[in-house]
Amino acid sequence: MGEILKISNLTGGYQRSRPVLHDVSFSVNAHEIVGLIGLNGAGKSTTIKHILGLMEPHKGDVRLMGRTWSEDKDDYRQGLAYIPEMPLLYEEMTLWEHLELTAMAYGLKEVTFKERANELLEEFRMKKMVKWFPSHFSKGMRQKVMIMCALLVHPSLYVADEPFVGLDPIGIRSFLDRMVEMKEKGCGILMSTHILATAEKYCDRFILLHNGRVILKGTLQELQAQSNMHGADLDQIYVEMTKEDKND
Amino acid sequence: MIDEKGLWTRRRSEYWEMAIKYLKLIGNSGFLFTIYLLFVFGSYYYGQFLEWLPETFPATLFFTVVFTWLITRGRVRTFAKPGDLFFLTPREGKMDSYFRSAIFYSWMMETLWIALLMLVLSPLFADRIYPSGSLVFSVIFLLSALKLWNLATGFEEQRIQEKNRYFMHTMLRFGLNAVTVYAIFSLQSILIVIGIAVALLLFYIGYFYRLSKVHSLKWERLVDIEDSTVMTFYRIANSFTDVPALKSKVRKRAWLSPLFRLVSYGQSHVYRYLFSRAFVRSRDYFGIYLRLTLIGLLFLSVVQIDWGRWLLIIVFAYMTALQVETLKNHFATSSMADLYPVSEKVKLKSHQFWMLSLGTVQAVVFGLGLVIFFGVMDGLLGVILTMLVYLYSSRLRLPKTYSL
Repeated sequence: MGEILKISNLTGGYQRSRPVLHDVSFSVNAHEIVGLIGLNGAGKSTTIKHILGLMEPHKGDVRLMGRTWSEDKDDYRQGLAYIPEMPLLYEEMTLWEHLELTAMAYGLKEVTFKERANELLEEFRMKKMVKWFPSHFSKGMRQKVMIMCALLVHPSLYVADEPFVGLDPIGIRSFLDRMVEMKEKGCGILMSTHILATAEKYCDRFILLHNGRVILKGTLQELQAQSNMHGADLDQIYVEMTKEDKND
Repeated sequence: MIDEKGLWTRRRSEYWEMAIKYLKLIGNSGFLFTIYLLFVFGSYYYGQFLEWLPETFPATLFFTVVFTWLITRGRVRTFAKPGDLFFLTPREGKMDSYFRSAIFYSWMMETLWIALLMLVLSPLFADRIYPSGSLVFSVIFLLSALKLWNLATGFEEQRIQEKNRYFMHTMLRFGLNAVTVYAIFSLQSILIVIGIAVALLLFYIGYFYRLSKVHSLKWERLVDIEDSTVMTFYRIANSFTDVPALKSKVRKRAWLSPLFRLVSYGQSHVYRYLFSRAFVRSRDYFGIYLRLTLIGLLFLSVVQIDWGRWLLIIVFAYMTALQVETLKNHFATSSMADLYPVSEKVKLKSHQFWMLSLGTVQAVVFGLGLVIFFGVMDGLLGVILTMLVYLYSSRLRLPKTYSL
């Protein structure tokens, strides 16, 4: 299996004296959905910012298809699409223009763009809103725009940060179906979420982050073995593992 | 314990700290130079204008209208904040000193504007109404007193809940002001002026003051008045610099969308695409561009001195270019734009493209104007000068602001 994303011994944060992440290592392979799980403030968003190349590591490195961000910025970014937790839209652009701009930015052929865009609009039931400006969108619609933009490009790696917030049930379903489809095509997907039931159903492996360190990683069986909680579900493991803190 | 007087002073100085920052930016943006230019040309043409103005010009009526408007408009600035609806309403009865300070402050500010306008118009006053310098100051004094009366009555007036009645009261004030201002500018005898003053004073005591005993303060209205005052200031400041607090709406401006056709599909045009939407639809880029172009054209059409026109072309083209330059930071806070696999070089090229395109349009407008008013050679020179400014801005200035 091809390794798409490889994070090795990453230490990083906003201040050198007070790193948020400590020696984080994990990878995302092709044909794989990896769940990034942790409490608020565990370091999920910081990890994602390092993957996106928005932050630079103090130590260690982040490689996408074998390259770091600093080796070739544009090439690196061509290889990933990001779905942010808070929809980041351009207030002065319509839905269609968001899609078109994204397609242009990632160098899609115009024919491919139109084909994919229309399919996505249909699937996410946003056809009526193509000429709308973001000020008329609800939180869920905004999130759909972000998801559609990301799905338009077919990169090697998807990074999704809490993609379900505000989505309606049909939106969630469409999104997950698409993720599975992309996975089958050979994409790697890293998804950060608090909705553990969904994560358990869709993710192949999990990274459990706590206080900036990876405390568990692997498939559900491996997590159960590592935590000595055989037969437990993800929710129970999660609560148990983050509880330990109080005792020491 | 809230110290009302202290609260007032603190809020006033907070506002001025903020305002002075913006005023400094405005001062640095070439605005002062424009004012200076206006002053130089203005004083030259003022005399000519007065000579040209026909004898039949209704100067008294003109002054009456202008000052009636200036005196009726504007309300007491209270620096009220939305939180006051919760925190200060319980102390409403003890806030007299706060609002007295507010009225006094507003009076001083408004008097400044009245004096300024009166001084600007004083040559016209001396020419058409009464040729005496000292009378100008007496008029300013009287107008200022009338303004104080308006602020005081206007403040009691805001206690009236119903919109219709509130508006009627403002209209009533407008009428009384018109009579008084007319009496002042038609140089009525001092007795009449005193008579009006006494009548107004009695009216205040007999009617408006009683309003304060019957009606409560309308805090929401006070907050609205404060908001709109601050917004006006922001909007003015926004013509010179970027005001983050000003969240102006996106405008569609559909009639400008043919401009978007200049951007064809393709990875290298990502920023052309972004900049075109930003320029047309957001904030005031387009508005400022249009205003600077039209004002420039207006100046070019009246200035008769050759080198004066050349200077004006350079100044206006340069000011416009500076505004177009700020497009660069429009997407600075958007992390999505940061994630695109598109280099800074592409961004710079797109920025240059739009700067030159907009420059060309402005050059054509200036050029055509000059051809019409002065002749073909002037027009040609205008186009060349404008383009030189834009070439300098886009090829030499702009790349320096990019980190490549």
